[in-house]
Amino acid sequence: MIEVKNLKKVYGDRAVISGVSVSFEKGKVVALIGPSGGGKSTLLRCINGLEDFQGGEIHVGGEVLHPGGYAKNKRALLALRQRVGMVFQTWNLFAHRTATGNIIEAPVHVKGLSVEAATKRARELLERVGLSHRADAYPHEMSGGEQQRVAIARALAMDPEALLLDEPTSALDPERVGEVLDVMRALANDGLTMLVVTHEMKFAREVSHRTLVLHGGAIIEDGPSHDVIERPTHERTKAFLGHTR
Amino acid sequence: MTYTLPASALCRFMAFAALVAGLLSCQGERSPTRSTASASRDGGSSAARREDGSLRRVRAAGVLRWGGDVQGGAPYVYEDPDHAGRNKGFEVDLANALARELGVRAEFVQNDWSALVPSLERGTFDVILNGLEVTRPRVGRVRFSRPYYVFAARLMARRDNPRVRADINALRGLRVGTLTNSFSEEILKDHAEIVGYEGTEEPYADCVAGRNDAVLLDDIIANIYGVPKPELRVVGDLQDGFYSIASRPADNDLSLALDAALARIIERGELEQILRRENIYNDRQLGLRTWGDAEQQRMLGLGPSAPGSAGPPGAAVSSTAPHRMSFGQVVLFVKGAGVTLLLSVLAMMLAIPLGLGLAVARLYGPAPLARIAGAYVEFYRGTPVLLQLYVLYYGLASVVRLDAFVAAILGLGMNYAAYEAEVYRAGIQGVPKGQMEAALSLGMSTPLALRRVVLPQAFRMALPSVTNDFIALLKDSSLVSVITVVELTKRMTIVAVDTRSYVVPGLLCAFLYFAMSYPLSIFARRLEERLARS
Repeated sequence: MIEVKNLKKVYGDRAVISGVSVSFEKGKVVALIGPSGGGKSTLLRCINGLEDFQGGEIHVGGEVLHPGGYAKNKRALLALRQRVGMVFQTWNLFAHRTATGNIIEAPVHVKGLSVEAATKRARELLERVGLSHRADAYPHEMSGGEQQRVAIARALAMDPEALLLDEPTSALDPERVGEVLDVMRALANDGLTMLVVTHEMKFAREVSHRTLVLHGGAIIEDGPSHDVIERPTHERTKAFLGHTR
Repeated sequence: MTYTLPASALCRFMAFAALVAGLLSCQGERSPTRSTASASRDGGSSAARREDGSLRRVRAAGVLRWGGDVQGGAPYVYEDPDHAGRNKGFEVDLANALARELGVRAEFVQNDWSALVPSLERGTFDVILNGLEVTRPRVGRVRFSRPYYVFAARLMARRDNPRVRADINALRGLRVGTLTNSFSEEILKDHAEIVGYEGTEEPYADCVAGRNDAVLLDDIIANIYGVPKPELRVVGDLQDGFYSIASRPADNDLSLALDAALARIIERGELEQILRRENIYNDRQLGLRTWGDAEQQRMLGLGPSAPGSAGPPGAAVSSTAPHRMSFGQVVLFVKGAGVTLLLSVLAMMLAIPLGLGLAVARLYGPAPLARIAGAYVEFYRGTPVLLQLYVLYYGLASVVRLDAFVAAILGLGMNYAAYEAEVYRAGIQGVPKGQMEAALSLGMSTPLALRRVVLPQAFRMALPSVTNDFIALLKDSSLVSVITVVELTKRMTIVAVDTRSYVVPGLLCAFLYFAMSYPLSIFARRLEERLARS
């Protein structure tokens, strides 16, 4: 359902992604791992158009993104972003809205849902991430783990076909990581398509169907998670996994 | 008289300076003017009187310091076009002649014209010699010498306006322009709708533009600024008035010496020569040669006024001491505060959306629009608001003839929009980038994300600065008096002249400004607290 063709992205004269082609199937969970600066987050951000790119194209559902950013892809971007949700490392909850307010914002103002319908749905989603009791809390009143679970609920409120998660647990206190991973595991079991940039090897091995290793802006290893993590073939992957284990 | 454009009305500062000066001079004001005036008439017969040291002080210093404003222009005191930095004019020649008679040197002290009297009271110079007309309110504050010039209040109107006749009682219902606190303004009170100006060029320009029906000002001014305009005609002269040398009431010795010196200068025909050099000598000056006590009393409004000749306007009101503000004046004050508040609110209602548009255009607009917004901000912040008001009201009068109040709102609003734009820009940039990204990732368009996510948070951050700007605007709005809008500060200066004292009107004015701005501060703080809690 997501297809990246020969994607090229440069910052100045430094190539961040150099000709990546990869496709993602519906209903699968894919982990993107690799050392920092390898291009994992950039690839994810290109897929929902938060980053412009210089070459190649990206297909999501029926929408196609070309180089040129917002100005050149406005219509495709607005449609695509409704089909692909994004979860950020630092949550980015709207600081001036409660948990419920965060969740209903886009359904009401982008999809045109009534506030009542959106609120009802928000209640269900909060229950799903285990935060029914925090419906009226403001972001600054919640822990990082709670905020990230609200952020996931917010992304789910748009009924996305896929969820992109950019290091969703990296900024959390260690004791808060588990609650977010539990939510993600539950979503995987429900069959949600997910692309997760992560450093949680346990999650990658146990939950994701497939793991990609990015290094130097290229995919150096791609296969079933168990195989990639247990029996890596590339030297860089071995070195990287050796460090993280 | 006289007094032209820009720096003219830094009213705000001036009013404050005047307030302070007024407070300092309470003592002087209370001195019984009537008796000092008659003492001066006694002249030589009061030789046994105790000296007050004022003349000795001037002689010891070797200089007679005289105050005036070169901005008034020719023929009074003005910069010599051939010798930059040197002044000329008939008052320069007269000051030199007077100083010579006293055996000292004359030294000119530049002072904003409208603050000459407070400056005299605080001792910035010894005398005022700058087209200061003898008017009832001034008679209460300074000691006037015998006059050195007789002028006529000259009425001018457009050639195509036959309604204006040379009769004070025929002006009812007409808008007549004049200088604030002038002799002409005193004449016009209760006879016409007065449009007060701070400069001499503007009333005539407005008359040509049709913003007023007629202009009443000293003949010297009319001849220089009004007569050259082909659209205008001289309707006639309404009343004679006098320029006199003003000194502090307590400086009796100096006043007597100046009167004697002036008498000698007039007697030997020197004054006539001086006036002829500037082409302002005429038959009106003949009476100066035979000036006596009776004429002086009449001029000061203290003696019986002969028909046709002038006492200061309103001289029939016998009291010249400072008096209380009437209830009517208090009502006018509150109305002035209302004008200030309405003007500020409307200007801010223009500045906020315009500033927001500029900030958004600068940050998110396409390159050309962003550049235009940037240029707007730099231009309006980088040039004085007084000048902008001036250009908007007078400069563009031939293109678009704005009502003074509308011009004031536009001028202040457009100026403050530049400041608001920067406040919002800082606010928007203070919202973490992730907020915008999160909004976009949910399928919002950039404008929607701005409206729903970024701006509400930016507003919260900008609120203290916006409040601050509004309070500043409340006080800056006093600048619009240069384009004839009578707001609170202007009302204060008018009333202060009427009551001969800045103390009560000044305090009331300050109180009213405070009464408007303080509740706003409280409200803004409450709002901030409420927003911070959510």
